Amino acid sequence: MPEYWRAGFQDGYVVHRRSYRETSLLVDVFSREQGMVRLLAKGASRGRSSKAGLLQPFAALALAWRGRGDLPVLREVEPLRRHNLAGSAVLCGLYLNELLVRLLPAGDAHPALFAAYGETLDRLVQGGGQEPVLRGFELLLLEQLGYAPPLEQEGDSGAPVLADGYYEYRPEHGPVPCAPHPQAFRGATLLALSARRLADGEQLREAKRMMRLVIGHALGGKPLKSRELFKYVKFEGN
Amino acid sequence: MRPTDRLGTLIQALRCLPGVGPKTAQRMAFHLLLRDREGAAALAGALQGAIQHIGHCLECRTLTEGELCEACADPKRDSSQLCVVENPAETFAIEQSTGYKGRFFVLNGRLSPLDGIGPDELGLDLLEAKLKSGTVQELILATNTTIEGEATAHYIGEMARHFRVRATRIAYGVPFGGELEYVDGTTLAHAFNGRQNL
Repeated sequence: MPEYWRAGFQDGYVVHRRSYRETSLLVDVFSREQGMVRLLAKGASRGRSSKAGLLQPFAALALAWRGRGDLPVLREVEPLRRHNLAGSAVLCGLYLNELLVRLLPAGDAHPALFAAYGETLDRLVQGGGQEPVLRGFELLLLEQLGYAPPLEQEGDSGAPVLADGYYEYRPEHGPVPCAPHPQAFRGATLLALSARRLADGEQLREAKRMMRLVIGHALGGKPLKSRELFKYVKFEGN
Repeated sequence: MRPTDRLGTLIQALRCLPGVGPKTAQRMAFHLLLRDREGAAALAGALQGAIQHIGHCLECRTLTEGELCEACADPKRDSSQLCVVENPAETFAIEQSTGYKGRFFVLNGRLSPLDGIGPDELGLDLLEAKLKSGTVQELILATNTTIEGEATAHYIGEMARHFRVRATRIAYGVPFGGELEYVDGTTLAHAFNGRQNL
């Protein structure tokens, strides 16, 4: 067992930070054991404080804080491991962080999601197709929150989704069979998304469009700001 | 002693300055009223004048009194190079230490979706129009080496690629006079990976 565990440290990632009062930072942390926590880092933005440098997104940290009330105070922070995101992977990372902040309620532990977050960052660093990686994380996040979209059964009848069928997606119901039209989703895409085996560009585009519907419904209207960052990004495989 | 209304208003107003909390604001207010009334009047006048007359440069969005800032109005500058920075202060820093004679574009911020700052908030439509016009040959991305600065550089870099303009990113690594042993791991890794032929 690593040394830091005994001292009341927890693993976590900074997902967002902003300045608070004169020299402090308010830090939103996605932690393994307590989910999203907002911490007050006192004096962290003062000149040469080492905390400000450490409290950056996309770095696994060991954090210790005091107090359980409205605003626990960060006591200590130690770096564990940095995910060196570069280029469009940074934009993807900011998108993941916005998803977490917007969708995860504070204080709910989601250890599986926490593990997946680190793995997702690793896969973004490794490069290769970013889109299937993002879809996988979106699906897991929705599953953990209980918003998982049914992908293998039709919404109302419960009949299995057929690979060569066409479906409309209704957020409250799920896939509903329809006649083929440009906005319909192919059954094969739903099944591939469910199996996390999205193949060609067409499937990736359809899966993205569908997840937008589902996430948009979960968010309740206000769109994600980080989508605007992808205007000029050309994903591989598209 | 309870601050009178006007004094309270002044203290409250001083708190809009970054890094100024209630105690500091109170000290500043007492200093201005008890020890330096002339300075206080000059400060009030300067603030009033600045608010009325200083706006954003139509070309580069830096702060300026006229329609164009000095750099944008100078015909001798090289329009084929455009350097993108986050804050007006950085244009001075770059000019003083590098002898750069191209033009600048000031974002007055950086992309940060969770703070509600996207491309539109940074005036990137104006930058887009500049790239489209074809005068820019090299776009130098001098945003900070924070996560948001990197995201901003990448976004603008892709935009430049879209309009077939060469985009370059300032190098970062071990600072001058820095000792490797004390440089943080991320910086050292970046410096190591970005090594150059001697």
